[in-house]
Formats: sequence, C-alpha cells, structure tokens
Amino acid sequence: MVDLIKKNAKSLQESLFSSVGSAVLTIATTYLVINFFRGMLGFALTSDKDWLAVLNNMQLYMVQAYPEEDFIRVWLSVGLTFVLAGLSIGIWRSDDRVKSSQVFNSFFKGGLGVLFFTIIAPTNASFMGNDGSVITEEVFSMDTRLGILIPVAVFCVIFFSIRFTNVKFTVNSSDMVFFYLFIPVALLWFVKLPTIQLDQNNERIIPDPVMPIADTTKIPWTVIFVSFLLSYFIGMYLKNIKSIKSIMSLSWFLLPLLIFSWIFKKPQIDMSVVLGSDLPIFGVFLLWGFLVITFVNNSIFKKYYSTYLGVTFLLTLVGVFSGLPMLAKTCLLLIALFSVVVPAVSTSSQGKRSLLIVWAVALVTLTFLLRGGASDTGIVVPGSSIFGGFSLTWLLAIFGTYVSFPLGVLLALGRNSKLPIIRIVCTGIIELTRSVPYITWLFFASVTLAVFLPAGVEFNLIVRVLMVTAFFSGAYFAENIRGGLQSIPKGQYEAADAIGMSPFQKISLIIMPQALRAVIPTLVSSAITAFKDSSLVTIIGLFDFLTIGKTVIGNQSIPVNFVGHDRENLIFVAIVYWIFTFTLSRRSMKVEKKLGLGER
Amino acid sequence: MSIIQTKDVKKWFGDFQALKGITMDVAEGEVLVVCGPSGSGKSTFIRCINRLEQHQEGQIIVDGIELTNDLKNIEAIRSEVGMVFQSFNLFPHLTVMQNITLAQIWVRKKNRAESEEKAMELLERVGIPEQAQKFPGQLSGGQQQRVAIARALAMEPKIMLFDEPTSALDPEMIKEVLDVMKELAKSGMTMIVVTHEMGFAKEVADRVMLFDEGMLVEENTPEEFFNNPKSDRTKLFLSQIL
Repeated sequence: MVDLIKKNAKSLQESLFSSVGSAVLTIATTYLVINFFRGMLGFALTSDKDWLAVLNNMQLYMVQAYPEEDFIRVWLSVGLTFVLAGLSIGIWRSDDRVKSSQVFNSFFKGGLGVLFFTIIAPTNASFMGNDGSVITEEVFSMDTRLGILIPVAVFCVIFFSIRFTNVKFTVNSSDMVFFYLFIPVALLWFVKLPTIQLDQNNERIIPDPVMPIADTTKIPWTVIFVSFLLSYFIGMYLKNIKSIKSIMSLSWFLLPLLIFSWIFKKPQIDMSVVLGSDLPIFGVFLLWGFLVITFVNNSIFKKYYSTYLGVTFLLTLVGVFSGLPMLAKTCLLLIALFSVVVPAVSTSSQGKRSLLIVWAVALVTLTFLLRGGASDTGIVVPGSSIFGGFSLTWLLAIFGTYVSFPLGVLLALGRNSKLPIIRIVCTGIIELTRSVPYITWLFFASVTLAVFLPAGVEFNLIVRVLMVTAFFSGAYFAENIRGGLQSIPKGQYEAADAIGMSPFQKISLIIMPQALRAVIPTLVSSAITAFKDSSLVTIIGLFDFLTIGKTVIGNQSIPVNFVGHDRENLIFVAIVYWIFTFTLSRRSMKVEKKLGLGER
Repeated sequence: MSIIQTKDVKKWFGDFQALKGITMDVAEGEVLVVCGPSGSGKSTFIRCINRLEQHQEGQIIVDGIELTNDLKNIEAIRSEVGMVFQSFNLFPHLTVMQNITLAQIWVRKKNRAESEEKAMELLERVGIPEQAQKFPGQLSGGQQQRVAIARALAMEPKIMLFDEPTSALDPEMIKEVLDVMKELAKSGMTMIVVTHEMGFAKEVADRVMLFDEGMLVEENTPEEFFNNPKSDRTKLFLSQIL
C-alpha cells in the first residue's frame, strides 16, 4: 500500500509539476477552479435563493398545464418507455463483467468529489439585499461541514482500503444499471424535503416544513422500477427467440408515435368517421397492395409495371394536394413507395408471403396511429397545445431527429445522384434551408406556412414547427452524411458491383453503414444542436422547458411569490440540458468504440 | 465454344484512348494471362468485361449475353463473373464470414445456414477457416486477398477475373495467393489474370497476351511467348521484366 502511494505521488509529480512552467500553470488553474466552485456554492447557499422555486414547480417543468386527472397518461408513457428499455437491456444483455474493484473505485471517486466540495465551500457568502446593501451571512457552518466531512471521509477510506482485502467479485455490467437506478428509487422513500405549506390566510409558512415525498411521486416511480426489473427478466427469457431484435427495434421506432398519438393525447374517436371513412380506405389499400404483390410476376402486368408506377406517382401527387382525407393521402404515398420495392423483394413465394404480412401490418399501424394523431384531444389546457415544458422539448427533439435523419440520408443520396433533376432538387432544398436562420423558419411555420398550403389543409402549430425542423436539421444531417459518403473509397462500390448487387443493396448494405459510422461524431453533435435549438420555439409562443423556467416561474406570484427567482431556475434548466447532452455524447463515444472493432 | 468474345473494343477516358480495338475470345476452362507495362490498358480491358468500365465502341459478349446499358443484363453477368481486385476491397464493417455470405443471401437469395456452410467450405479451400469471425482489418494482406477470392467464388461464377491480385502484397504472401489461384486453375475455372508474375504464367496459363498502348501486341502459348516471341515489343518487355 505504501508502494502504491509512492507510485501515485511520483506520477502526480511527473504529470503536474514536471517543470517550472507547468507547476505555475497547475497552481494557477487549481486556484481558478477552486474559486469558481467556491463562488458557485456561495451563490447557491445564500438565504435569498429560494430553491423551492424549482422543486415546487417540477410538475410545471415536466408537463406545463396538463390536467392532473389525466396524469396516469403521463406515467403510462414513462412506464412504457422503461418497460421497453428493460426488455431491450435484457435482450441485448452484454457479457461484459465489471470488477468489484472498479465499482468500489467509482464510489471512492464519488466520495472524493463530495469531500472536495465540502472542504472548499465558503463559510460566509454575501449577496445584494433588497435595499442595495451587501449582506454577508454564514452559509455553511463548521458543524454542518464536519457533519458531512466525517461520514464521507470514513466512506472514502472504506472503499479505498477494500481494494486491498480479499473482497473480489465481478458483476454483469447490464445488472449494474438496475443497481444504480435502485438507489434514487429507494431514496424516494426515505428522503424528506422542505415543502411549501400555506396557512389559513394563504400565506407561506416559514420556515418550510420538511415532509416526506408525496405518494403521487414515489408510488408511480416504484411501480415503474419494478416493471423495469420484471421486463429485464422477461427480456433475458425472450433473448433466443428469432427476430426478437428486429421486433424490438421496430417497437422503439413506434413507441414515440404511440405515446404522442394515443397515450399522451387522449384522442376523441368519432365511430362514424372510423366506420365510414377509415375502414373503407384501409380496405381499398389493403386490397391494392395485395393485388400488386400477387400479380407482380404476371407477364402482362410486368410489361406495364413502369406505366403503373408512373400513374401511381401521379395519383399520389394529385392526391396530396386534393381534399382527400389524411389517411388516404398517406396510404397513397405509402403504396407508391411500396410499389417501387415490390419487384425487388417478391421473387419467391416465401418473399411474397412475408411482403403481404409487412403490408398488412404497416397499414394497420398507419391507420391506428393516424386516427389517434388526427383526432381532437380530450385534454383541455389553456394555450395552444397540450404539450409544454419538458414534454414539448422532448417531442421536438425526438421527432426532429426522427424525421430529419431519414430525410438527411435521402437528401445526401439525392445530392450524389447521377440524375440531374434529383440532384438539383436535393441541392436546392439543402442550400435553401441551410442559408436561412432557424428562427426565420419558425416564423415561417407559425405565420406563413398556412398561406402556402392548399385550402382546407390545416396543421396544428406544433406539426408545422416539426415540419420546418425536419427540413432544417435534415439539411445539416444531409451534409454530414455526404461527407461520410465521400470518405468511402471507390473500390467499395466496385466490389459491391462485382458481386452483382443491385444499386439499392449496394447503398443500404455496403455504402451507408460505412458512411454513417464515419460521421457518428458530427451526427451526434447535429442531434445535440437540434435538441438545444428546440428552446427557440419560445419565440413563436410555445412553452418549452427553458421558457417555463425563465418566464413562467419567473413571473409566478400565486399561490407563492417566486418573482425574481429565475436565476435558480436557469441553473436547474442548464443542468438538465447538460445531463441529457452529456449522456448522449458519452453513449455515442461508446457506440463509436464498439463499431470501430474491425477497423485499425 | 468461347465463353467471352470481344470484337474491336474501344474505350476513351476523355481524350485519351485507353483501348484501341481489342478483338479476342476465351474458351471455357481456359486460363488466360494478360501482361504488359502499366498504362497499357490491360486492367481497363478486364474491367470492361464485367462493366466496371463502359466501352464506347465494339462488342463484348459474355456467356451469350451482350453487354449493353440494360441494368438487368449487367447484374446477370456480374453474378456470373467473379472479380478479385488489387486492393482486395473487402467490406471492412463486416466479418470475413459476412463478407462471403452477403452476396449469396442478397443476390442469390439463399438462406443463411446454407450460405454459411458454403462460406466455410470456401474458407477451407483457400486455407483460412479459422479466421471466419475476424474483421478484414485484423488479417494480413495475403489472407485478405484469399478472403476476396473466396467471396468471389461464393457466387459460383463461371469466369474469374483477377486484376493484379498480388501487386499489393509482400513477397512472402504472394505465394499463398498464387497457390490458391493455381488450385483454382486446375479445377477447370475459366480465368483471366492480369499479373506480372511470370512464373505463374509459365506454370498454369493456357495462353499469354501482351498489351501495349491499348493494343493487343502478342497472343501466344506460354512456351512460345517466353522462348520464341513474335514481336519485338514482347522481347523488350521480357528483357525488362525477367
């Protein structure tokens, strides 16, 4: 153990104080860092900061004005996501094992972090009083400091020295996820937080009484954790079923659509519309697809297939700009795309059968989701949208990436296409969207877009925002992906050609996978940018996560006065954004490492 | 019965004429070695045979199908003609096994088990069955080229084209690739090989051709070609290379 300390001390000296210059730099930087954190802690701990402005408004942050009696829908959405996550972790359970020493080491490091902040926290801090005078007060008494310092130091020593004992075991790295998640859920049952209480005169009782966390928070989270755990075991059990992985990927794709169209939204279904319009349309298109699949190999039909394709595309184009129901338009678009793929896939009777199933399932899903999405919502909220707060930010981020990523892939391919018309159109879309600021596009969505749409076609403001967002970040994705495409050597195209692959197979199996993995870092940074840029929607009157913190809570005076407490809220918002983007970039680094396996 | 026939094939890259009228044919089961100085059009010529390059004039008929712009014909011919490149061109994101099964599954529409069995068989034939689950980046050059040969053979081609298969290899690795090619030649495969390995030409070729400046200068049996060449250009070439 002495040797270890000596060795560490030596390497520390070599890396930090190797020369006079580096010693000066080390000391200066340490001084700055410590002072920065001292300042932050002093700021956070002074008595004029009311952190309950954040804590008390958690509901507003998450769902804005979503009515309380429908909260079960929100919990269902979260729960469903966790169940799917549990299943996926179970199915993709890794065989990596984490050594106990690694786990203990991370506890030790966490403890050291707490120690660091406890030691450097300032005893006194000053702030500006209401009358402009500077008030200095004790914010972190010696008793509190020691009260934290001693147990944490003991904790650190235990986890440091445990490495030298015989306690050695390994844990599956997937299991660790549940352990780490278990800690906060368990804490929910023990922690007591200060809570705002009002007296008979509707005035805040100060000091705020410390209360256990409300049942409406801890019970749902516990239920969610338990179902997460259960679905993990179910996932492990289902692991060996054929094609379970593709079913899971598809479920992840459909989950946000399901949540936003059926669960979160409470659609009001008019049965006469469903029976009178949806079902006939569904039937017609099911039959249409069925006929195409059956007769695609028929010699007469085969001869006129290109004519059929042309007519279908023309019909689609006309249909989209006519007064047809939304479902019919989408189905037209779908059958046009479907007809392109059919001849390549339905060569054997087995291929035909699976194609039929795919078509039927796709139509059912489409009809189901579209009916949910197009119906009026049964949830009444003040303002233009039931989405607000974090749910809006999340919606914009997910759908922004969702729609824009495939669009980006198509635009990138189109820009590289040999056909001049496609190339010019794609280049035009990319250059047009990129050269105009995002805010301009948002105004375009809120004010101008309606003018361009044909009469009778109307979209919700959020849908319009999603449309412009899809094109805007799609253009950026396209340029990133084009960069990846250019990094693929010509030999890869030739090799794919030489083994007789069709252009579609060549792109989807050989070129795209390589191009995408070459640009993962830039794709992730585009996704992060899109996530953060979603806060710009405040400018057209939508209440995203940031707006809630800055404007809504900053102006709150009923029932409790939080006016002037927006600094606390801004810090909270910043931390939440940071957690999400940081997690995303760490995950992408892991993915990169994993995909880079074969390459040297 | 000739499996490949070309008539007066001409090809230009911009103003530069790479092929100045090549007429030849290859019989089924024949091993043809094509040599010549660099820039003589030999690689361009064999790349025209599976239409990685388009010829502008003349006629190329492979296995009874003429090469035109018809995409269906091209795909049909490409799946009958295997090609091995100088720089291997393995797919770096797929394992060796996936590299070999990919075309069987997607182009030949075979099921996975069947194509994996075939792939193992071929890997044993080229002598590296133990590398099946590795990625191309983890193999040596010679091993990569052998995987490339296995990948081409997986399509069960009637014709194999080799575009300088050993030029990017260390001298020690050349032998292992040439051994595989010799074995292949003995099994009766129709092969066109662009190479500078004269030893290989002497040993297995049925016919040797010399290209220079886009023209077919000499076409001869290996014995005649090396011992008693007809044209002066061949003599010069041989004196430089041997």
